[in-house]
Formats: sequence, structure tokens, C-alpha cells
Amino acid sequence: MKRENEFAVGVVVIAAFAVVVAGALWLSGAHLGRTEAVYTARFRTVGGLGVGDPVVLRGVRVGRVEAIRLASGNWVEADLKIYAGTQPPPRPAVIAASASLFGEWAASLVALDQLPNDPNIKQAITEAQAAGSGKWPGATLPDIGQLTAQASRIATDIATVSSRIQTAFDSEAVIELRRSIKDFGQVADKLVRVTNDQADVLGSVGSNLRQGSDVLAKAATNFQTTLGRVDSATNQGQLATILNNSSATSANLKSASQDFRDLLDAAHKNQESLVRVLVSADSVMSRISNRSGTLGLLVSDSTLYRETTLTMIQLRQLLSDIQANPRKYFSFSVF
Amino acid sequence: MIERLGRKTVDAIKAVGGFGHFVGDLARAVPDVAVWGRLTLVQMRRVGVDSLPVALFIAAFTGVVLALQASYTFTGTVPLYFVGTLVGKTMMLELGPVLAGLALAGRVGASMAAELGTMKVTEQVDALETLAYDPQSFLVLPRVLAGTTMFPVIVALAILTGIVTGWIASLVLLDLSTQEFLKGLKLFYRFKDTWFGLFKSATFGCTITLVGCVVGLSTRGGAEGVGRSTTRAVVYSAVLLLVLDAFWALVLLR
Repeated sequence: MKRENEFAVGVVVIAAFAVVVAGALWLSGAHLGRTEAVYTARFRTVGGLGVGDPVVLRGVRVGRVEAIRLASGNWVEADLKIYAGTQPPPRPAVIAASASLFGEWAASLVALDQLPNDPNIKQAITEAQAAGSGKWPGATLPDIGQLTAQASRIATDIATVSSRIQTAFDSEAVIELRRSIKDFGQVADKLVRVTNDQADVLGSVGSNLRQGSDVLAKAATNFQTTLGRVDSATNQGQLATILNNSSATSANLKSASQDFRDLLDAAHKNQESLVRVLVSADSVMSRISNRSGTLGLLVSDSTLYRETTLTMIQLRQLLSDIQANPRKYFSFSVF
Repeated sequence: MIERLGRKTVDAIKAVGGFGHFVGDLARAVPDVAVWGRLTLVQMRRVGVDSLPVALFIAAFTGVVLALQASYTFTGTVPLYFVGTLVGKTMMLELGPVLAGLALAGRVGASMAAELGTMKVTEQVDALETLAYDPQSFLVLPRVLAGTTMFPVIVALAILTGIVTGWIASLVLLDLSTQEFLKGLKLFYRFKDTWFGLFKSATFGCTITLVGCVVGLSTRGGAEGVGRSTTRAVVYSAVLLLVLDAFWALVLLR
């Protein structure tokens, strides 16, 4: 009985011990019998990174976070245990980031010259690198909680803006808006009427176009008839007669044109004579204007004018006297 | 009424004092290794190995139900590999220790209370004392030590059983692969999950066996008293187990 108890109890205890040890080692991802190197990374904050979280290189798990502790200078240091056989980048940096939406975090190893194009990360890495002492520089990406907090702040801002809009959009604004809508309705009614009128006009235009096209069709028909007649005239020689008459008319027109050209030449010559006459007249008028010559003196000197007039009067008196008493001045004798 | 209330209060204080006296006697019995050493193995067999089928049976179905309920809750909202996380965490931290503890409270606690109560009412305990055997080292200490050491063993195997049945249920009944289940299982695992459950179960074992022994050795009134003691041992064990569960969660998980 005693032996049986010892064996049963021993088996159960050993089995339980094996289950606990093996399960704990397997679940925590421990690599027994393999040498692991421990590197220390420096962060300003590790965010949600915790002990036991995976360390990944290009997406492949190559280790785990062994320890996290506060360090001097407001730094946080994380010990990263890297599995044997893993070659970290030549100049490594560590980025702690949320691995999923459900609180999983991971520390990613990246080369310093292959950092993400994020100014915050670059600044954090540069700052951690400047602290020196041979530790890997680290940066932390915001987790989903921070992002949702930011989204919450944006939502709050939108709510504030909405509240302000609601305040500005008071009952008077509503009345104005309703009035505007009413006006807009009236404008729409007018537009409908104008549209209907324009539709009527377009309808009449279309009707006219239809009539015009009918007229054109008739003209085309007439033209076709004319062409038929021309065709028949061509057949009976009438067209040749018309063409002959046209040729004679054209010759007459040519002759008339020649006569008209001769007339124009003569007129051109007479124009030269007229120009000369005008030049002479202009010379005479100039001399008169300059009070030179007989006519000029006659125009400018009133004495001569009066004497001339008096002479003319005396001549008329003489002629009148001659007409009245011809014998006084003339004597006829035959013998 | 005030007199009854006062009497009850005084009885409660006496019970606490009696329990303290009992624990003191137990501590004084520890050096008597020659007595309790050879009896402890027998109790380990009875408390631990013989209780294993009940504990594993409960854990097996608990694992299946956990997987199905997790899938029912997570589908459409949370990735299903969290089924592994929930099964593992729940079995290790809570349901493994507590369900096994409750089951063994009924089996072990009741058994001890009935056995020791019968010995008490039939004056076998007095006979032992007459024969210069300390009842603490002969009856109590082997049971308490067996319960304290074997409960973590039972719970460890129960946790393993629950996780394995949860994994099988995920494979067979749910649209979940082994890789996904293991990913969820390992996702948030901390070594504390393991030792917290085992430590808690050790305290459960100590409490259940101690309550069984205390209640059994305080039995009076013949067979009826034995029945009452058995019931009281189960009830007290279950209540203390849940109180202790909350206490450890408050102390160790915050």
C-alpha cells in the first residue's frame, strides 16, 4: 500500500511539475540552451511596451524585451534579448510601436539610415543617440489610445464649431432662410415660365425651320425642273442661240467700253485745259486781290469806279441823244 | 433579541479564538515529523491523486465552454485568436484554481469533516490522546500538508486539461487554426499567470483541509452532528475559498 501511494503521488507530482515548467518556458518564448545577447535601448518613453513583448527585425521575431527600467536623465532603458544567430543592423535603432489594435506592442529593430519618414521619430532617435554611452537609440510611436484621444479632441472641436453654428443659426436666421427659400421658389417659378415661353419660341422657330425646309425643298424641286428645262433646251439648240446672242452682246459691251475709255481720255485732256484755265483765273483773282492791274485798281479805287460809272451814264445819255437826234450827229448826202 | 445577538457575537469571537488555538496546536505539532511524515503520503494520495479525475473532468468541460463562449463574444468584434488568450488566462488565473478548489471542497473537505467528526463522536480522538498520540500531528497536519502541496499539482494538470480541451474545441467546433490559438495563448502570457494560480490553489488547499479538520474535530451530537459538520465544512470552505480568491486578486493583481 505504501509503495503504491508513493508511486502514484510521485507520478502526479512530477507530471504537474513538468507541465508547469515546460508550459511556462514555452509560453514565455524562452530559448533554452541557446546563447542570447542582451542589448539596451534608450527611450524617452516606452509607451505600452512591456517585459516579454517581442523584438522583431523586418517583421520576424528575433528576441523579446527582457527588462524595462527608469534611467537617469529622464530616460527609460529597455533590455532587449536577441536570439543567437540574429545579426542586428550595423547601426540599429529601436522603434516601439503598437502591433495591433488590441494592446500588443513590439520593439522593431531598424537601421538608422532606414528610419521611417516621421520627424518625431527622427528627432527622438537623434536625441537618444546624442545621449551616447553605447545604447541603442529608441523612439515610440503613438498607440491607438493616443490616436483615439486625438480623434476625441477633434470631435470635441467639431462639436464646439457645431454649437457655435447652432448659436449663430437663430430663429431670425431661420426666418431669413425661409424667406430666401420662398424667393428662390418664386425665381424658380419665373424660370419655369421663361422656360415655357422659350420653349414656345423654340417651337415656332422649329415650325419656321420646317416651313423653310419645305420652301427649300420646293426651290430644289424648281431648280431641278429648271435643270431639266436647261437639259431639254440643250437638246433643242436653244441654248446655243442664247450663247450666241450673249457673245454678240458681249462684243457690243466691249465696243461701248472702248468708247467710254476714249471719252475718259478726252475728259482727261480737257481736265488739263481746265486746270490751266483755273490757274490763270487764280492768277487774275490774285492780282485783283493784290489791287494790281486794271481790275484790281477798279476794285480798290472808288474814284475810278465813280468816274467809270459817270462815263457810262454820259455814254447812255449820248446814245439816247443820238437816237433822238441822229441828224445832229450824222449827215447824209448823196451828193 | 439583543441577548441573542450578543450570544452570537460572543460565539463568533470564541470560534476565532478556538481557531487560533487550533492553529497554535498545529504549529506545535510540526516538529513531530516521525508521526505526520509517514501519514502525509497517504493523505496526498487520497487528497491529490484520487481527486484528480474529478478536477480534470471539470477542467475539460470548462475549457470547451470557455472557447465557445469566447468565440460567441468575440465574433465580429475581436480577432478570434483572442479565444486562446481568454482560455489560457482564465484557466490559469481563475477558473482552474477556483473550480478545482470548489470541487475539492465538496469532495475533500466534506470527507475530512465526516471522517474526523465520526472519530470525534465515537471518541476515537480521545483514544488517540489516551495512547499519547497528538491528534494534531496524527490527524490534522498530514491532511493540511497534503492539501497544501497537492492542490497546486491538481490545479496545474487541470489548467493543462482546460487549455487542451479549449484548443481542441477551437479546432473542431470553431473556425480557428492551431497557429491562431497558440498565438492568442502566448500573446499576453506572463510567468505571473502561472505562479499566481498555483500559489492561490495552494492556499485553497490549505484552507479547505484546515476547515475540514477544524469542523470535523469540533463535531458534537452523534451521526446528526457529523452530518451538520459535513455540511458546514463544505459551506465554510466554499465561502472562504471565494473570499480568499478575491483577497489574492486584490493583493497580487493590482
